[in-house]
Amino acid sequence: MGSAPRHSRDPLEFRPKMAEAPPTRPASAPDEPPLEPDAQAYLELRQLILAPEQEALERLHQRVDDPASRTEDVGSVVAEAIQLRRKQGGDEALSVALAPTIETALRESVRKDPATLADALFPVMGPAIRRSILETLRSFLESFNHILDQSLSVKGLKWRLEALRTGRSFTEVALLHSLVFRVEQVFLIHRKTGLPIGHAVASAVAMQDPALVSGMLSAIQDFVRDSFHTSQGQGINRMNVGDLDVWIEEGPYAILACVIRGIAPRDLRDRMAEVLEDVHREYSAQLDEFDGDTATFVKVNGELSRCLEHRYKEEVKTKSFAFVYGTAALGFLLIAGWLGWRSTQYNRWDRLVNTLREQPGFVITSFGREHSRFVVRGMRDPLAADPAQFIKSSDVNPADGEFHWSGYYALDDGIVEQRARSILSPPATAVFTVKSGVLCVSGAASANWVKDIQSRALLVPGIHSVELSPELNPGRLAFNQAKSQIEGGVVKFPVASAALSPAESLSLRKLAENIRSLLLAADSLHQSTTLEVLGHTDSTGAEAVNLDLSQRRADRVSWALGQLGVPERILRARGVGTTNPLRTEDNEENRQFNRSATFRVIAPVP
Amino acid sequence: MLQKKICMLGSFAVGKTSLVRRFVESIYSEVYQTTVGVKIDKKNVKVDEKEISLVLWDIYGEDDYQKMRWTYLRGASGYLLVADGTRKTTLEKAVSLEQKVREEVGAIPFVLVINKSDLIRDWELDPALESQLAAHGWGILRSSAKTGEGVEESFSLLTRKMLG
Repeated sequence: MGSAPRHSRDPLEFRPKMAEAPPTRPASAPDEPPLEPDAQAYLELRQLILAPEQEALERLHQRVDDPASRTEDVGSVVAEAIQLRRKQGGDEALSVALAPTIETALRESVRKDPATLADALFPVMGPAIRRSILETLRSFLESFNHILDQSLSVKGLKWRLEALRTGRSFTEVALLHSLVFRVEQVFLIHRKTGLPIGHAVASAVAMQDPALVSGMLSAIQDFVRDSFHTSQGQGINRMNVGDLDVWIEEGPYAILACVIRGIAPRDLRDRMAEVLEDVHREYSAQLDEFDGDTATFVKVNGELSRCLEHRYKEEVKTKSFAFVYGTAALGFLLIAGWLGWRSTQYNRWDRLVNTLREQPGFVITSFGREHSRFVVRGMRDPLAADPAQFIKSSDVNPADGEFHWSGYYALDDGIVEQRARSILSPPATAVFTVKSGVLCVSGAASANWVKDIQSRALLVPGIHSVELSPELNPGRLAFNQAKSQIEGGVVKFPVASAALSPAESLSLRKLAENIRSLLLAADSLHQSTTLEVLGHTDSTGAEAVNLDLSQRRADRVSWALGQLGVPERILRARGVGTTNPLRTEDNEENRQFNRSATFRVIAPVP
Repeated sequence: MLQKKICMLGSFAVGKTSLVRRFVESIYSEVYQTTVGVKIDKKNVKVDEKEISLVLWDIYGEDDYQKMRWTYLRGASGYLLVADGTRKTTLEKAVSLEQKVREEVGAIPFVLVINKSDLIRDWELDPALESQLAAHGWGILRSSAKTGEGVEESFSLLTRKMLG
């Protein structure tokens, strides 16, 4: 309400009117004797005109005289008056004037009920007190450190070592070791009713009905307070059962209780106080008027969960950088060593595998580590070298790995040559060489073996053609064979005769067959051939006679051969007398050999 | 959820605890009553489609050894005053308790529960006193811890009174 309209109604404003009023005021009291009718009418008129003003005046008199209504008037403007005074710059004087009264009032209030003022100051006192306590604690810790310095328990020594290692103060280490706890449940309990206002619970905590726990907690508080006649605000602030701790923080309207497992640090208590203060600040009206309806405290559980702290031993274990780095370096070295060893091992195997890869008759299809074993897979020709010999000469540990071979036919020349040798079983005199699938055979071999070698060799995997050296030409071999058989033949004659005995005639048949073979072979070789039939005599008798006899003997055989189908064009009969004896005539039998005909195959090189 | 603290008052051995044993959720043993002087249970009731959680402070009845702790009544929204129908003195005690409550915490809703209705033949209650109290506006119910008669009704009636 503004001050202007109030001033217009101020009784003082009526003063000028009041000054004019008395002369016109009639003497009209209710107990005056009745007046004349005119006078009566005048009186009524007067009454009619002046009565409202008179009544107002009467009311003003009453207000000024009555202390109660005066108080009421002043009370309605006192706030504005103080404001105005401050605006006018006189607030210092006002403070001086009010200070004694306020001081007395406060003193009186505290004397009457300290709780009222304590409750009012509660939200602001907490932080201030905590700050001062923190300072005190800090200095206390220093002395605590000193005391602990004296302790020589095993644990103390252990902590001391840790302090040395980490460069922290011993106190800090000792405290850190104590800070192992978990706040399992937080209850906010309405102080007056013992009803739960809020409840926060850590995960995986078995909990009881918060209403029952809250009730019982506040009942116990009451019980203790009652039993020991402590004053309000001095209840239990801590209960301890085994490793469970219940910390209780009391506010004017609500109690905060934390159920803690383990040993909680001191600053949790500060946190609790903070939360409790915040709750009181935020919900002061609701707390005051709490009637059991928690709907207005929706966000309170969030506040409470600020107290759900935990700290585990592992977390507080601190290690110095040197230690961490040392461990890391050691770990690194171990890993590096292990990797190095692994890599060396791998390299050894890799070398072995490459050696095998280079060997004829080996194909490596895969190589690697399987379940920490080396596994080599590939194909191996049965004729390839034994891998064991390579493993033996390498530097790998055979127990570290395994080989899986499947068979195949290698096309490497060396292997194919070996394969050809094992399949074709050539005579020791034959020489085999293989070059890009071509088998070259040289040296000496029987015509029989050579005969079908061409077709047989093609059955050997890896050989697609065969080259025989000229001396192994089947035609040549047949030719030579026939030639040696022919030239080994001797037709014997009786003394001084050129007649053929029946036995010799028979042997000529065999000879004629050989000559036919010879001619067949010569034909295939395009070889022109002449068969010389040489007639011989022994050394008895005249030379001229012998020469003639020998000629006749050659002619005789030549003729007989012609009779047996040998073409005459190749036959040359020649008597050589005694000039070319077959044997030395030292006995009759040897002399007999000289009475003969022999054969010579003449085949000029084509 | 609306919660209300209510108390159970009455002389020693009127059957306060037996009366509610079958009807409440409890985690505490009855030993608390003789040690701390109170045992706390919980009971959910539904009145006019409204669920209300009653936190029940079963206060140890006064006897020669232990005095009742009035502190436990602080903050209660109502109470059940329990008397034993077979013992006249317990009703008298109930009357004086009601008066004491009024002095200590003010006039709060209550219901007088006269227990042991199953032993009605042994009752020594003065019907005149009963009707006199009813005339004073007392809510009076008869109950039996044995049969369960009147227990739920007592809670409902008290709740209604508390919700006004």
